Amino acid sequence: MTLLAVDKLTVTLETARGPARAVRDLSLSLDRGETLGIVGESGCGKSMTALALMGLLPENGRASGRIAFAGEDLLALSEEALCRVRGNRIAMIFQEPMTSLNPLHTVGRQIGEALRTHRGLSGGAAKRETLDLLAKVGIPEPARRFDSYPHQLSGGQRQRVMIAMALSCRPELLIADEPTTALDVTIQKQILDLIRDLVRELGMAMILISHDLGVIAENVDRIAVMYGGTIVEEAPTPELFAALTHPYSQGLFAAVPKLGRAARRERLATIAGVVPDLPDMPAACTFADRCALAIDACRAAAPPAVEVAPAHRVWCGRSAEARAQWQPS
Amino acid sequence: MGGAMIDRDSFMARGLRNRSFVVGGLLTLALIAIAALSLVWTPHDPLKIVIPKRFAPPSATHWFGTDQFGRDVLSYIMAGAQTSLVVGFVSVAIGALFGITLGLWAAAARGAIEEAVMRASDFMFAFPAILLAIMLVATLGPGAVNAIVAIGIFSIPVFARLTRGAANSVWAREFVLAARAAGKGTFRITIEHVLPNIASVLVVQATIQFALAILAEAALSYLGIGSQPPTPSWGRMLAEAQSRIFQNAWLAVYPGAAIALSVLGLNLLGDGLRDIGDPRLARKR
Repeated sequence: MTLLAVDKLTVTLETARGPARAVRDLSLSLDRGETLGIVGESGCGKSMTALALMGLLPENGRASGRIAFAGEDLLALSEEALCRVRGNRIAMIFQEPMTSLNPLHTVGRQIGEALRTHRGLSGGAAKRETLDLLAKVGIPEPARRFDSYPHQLSGGQRQRVMIAMALSCRPELLIADEPTTALDVTIQKQILDLIRDLVRELGMAMILISHDLGVIAENVDRIAVMYGGTIVEEAPTPELFAALTHPYSQGLFAAVPKLGRAARRERLATIAGVVPDLPDMPAACTFADRCALAIDACRAAAPPAVEVAPAHRVWCGRSAEARAQWQPS
Repeated sequence: MGGAMIDRDSFMARGLRNRSFVVGGLLTLALIAIAALSLVWTPHDPLKIVIPKRFAPPSATHWFGTDQFGRDVLSYIMAGAQTSLVVGFVSVAIGALFGITLGLWAAAARGAIEEAVMRASDFMFAFPAILLAIMLVATLGPGAVNAIVAIGIFSIPVFARLTRGAANSVWAREFVLAARAAGKGTFRITIEHVLPNIASVLVVQATIQFALAILAEAALSYLGIGSQPPTPSWGRMLAEAQSRIFQNAWLAVYPGAAIALSVLGLNLLGDGLRDIGDPRLARKR
């Protein structure tokens, strides 16, 4: 059953150089309980997509298109109605656990607030529930931590608190925007495992956003690769890695550092060129200027979606050639 | 930063190491204590006129001497502290209440409302405050209450601007975005997240405005449009002492010193509070 259906979402930012489309005609859908990974490099529009879903775009941003959440168009809702959805039915975890908590309030109070706001719990009930949540996200000695201030916790613990806050109202959809980027590698895995387990246990749908293919690969059912504000390839996780098709996805995968003696002798593969600034983004295929396979047709019109395998779609005018050149390493 | 008040070191412990805070705090406490004491006890009745004893120089019975009506200067100054405190407190309360509200509103609403509030503040800033206070008092009529209102009104833009600026920087912080993502509305975010995080800045400003208000009251009273006789007022004491400054210097020196020490104390207290609130500055001292 479809929980989220995004149709032709476009986010336009007013910049000093004129309007720039940070997200262009993005469409995606997500079933209840399904997990989707969005991967792409900085500036590809993945965070803007997340903020647009929450209705929290920066002041200079405008969204158009349709975001149907459980059948309701979020873009058409009033701010007041959105407040009832945010944190309650759609929750979000941010990148920076160090700054995402108010330094002046205790951890317990910050988690409890969501419970009181959305679920109307009394003080005592909210406290019991908060202690449960703290235990659930793996904070040792919840009763002691309840009265801690954010600066008394480590980064990993703070992110656990953020997760507890996000899960407090049992949202139907969890958006995790680079939830582990600011953490140590050893902590990263713990946090990702925690998120994955809780998502499964509570039957939530999740959109996990990361620039790190490794993080995405291990934690989601389906992956969407974003470049230049739009999805360029989308497939179930195993299928995607079996046959990466879009030239950009292939480049992204090749650029993941490999371990081992042989790899040390090789230079790390990179994608030629740089991501153009938003106002300079090519109008047709956004990747055309950096693509070795690009032909004139790629610069003339936006590439159509090609279903190269069941549920594996690629937005590339040269998908057959691209698929042929891919050799999994 | 706002979070500094709950740092490892307790607020008081850091306060005691800060010289401005200690000296300013003591002077301010002394001012409050004297005003409170004058409610129940003064060496002589501050308003009692004893013409035969006029212009008596400082002595064992009249420590600060007597004025042109034979009133005891020390008693009169003590009673004057009440006036200064009341004027300072009420006018800062008026300025802070309206200014902070406007500033928070501007920062939360952004857009046209923010522009309107800020341009209105700029407009008020364009006039010298004391001149506008004189204008207002001249319109409303002289008296302590009108002086309070006038001084209060002119500290509104000070608070509005400071609040708007500080609030805007809090609104840009990640935890506000996280709070919005948790479904909190603008009003709740303002009260729960923005205001507590800018409170320390506002307290410092309130202290400094308090000092300015005491000065402004003295200035208005000196000009004869502040509190009216017989209400004791340091500013009016100065005005009355002016013509006799070379014959009876104590008439000007003591109220002048009272004003200077009060203002100095409050300013030092404000500086100290600011330094304590900012651990980066506190450590350097």
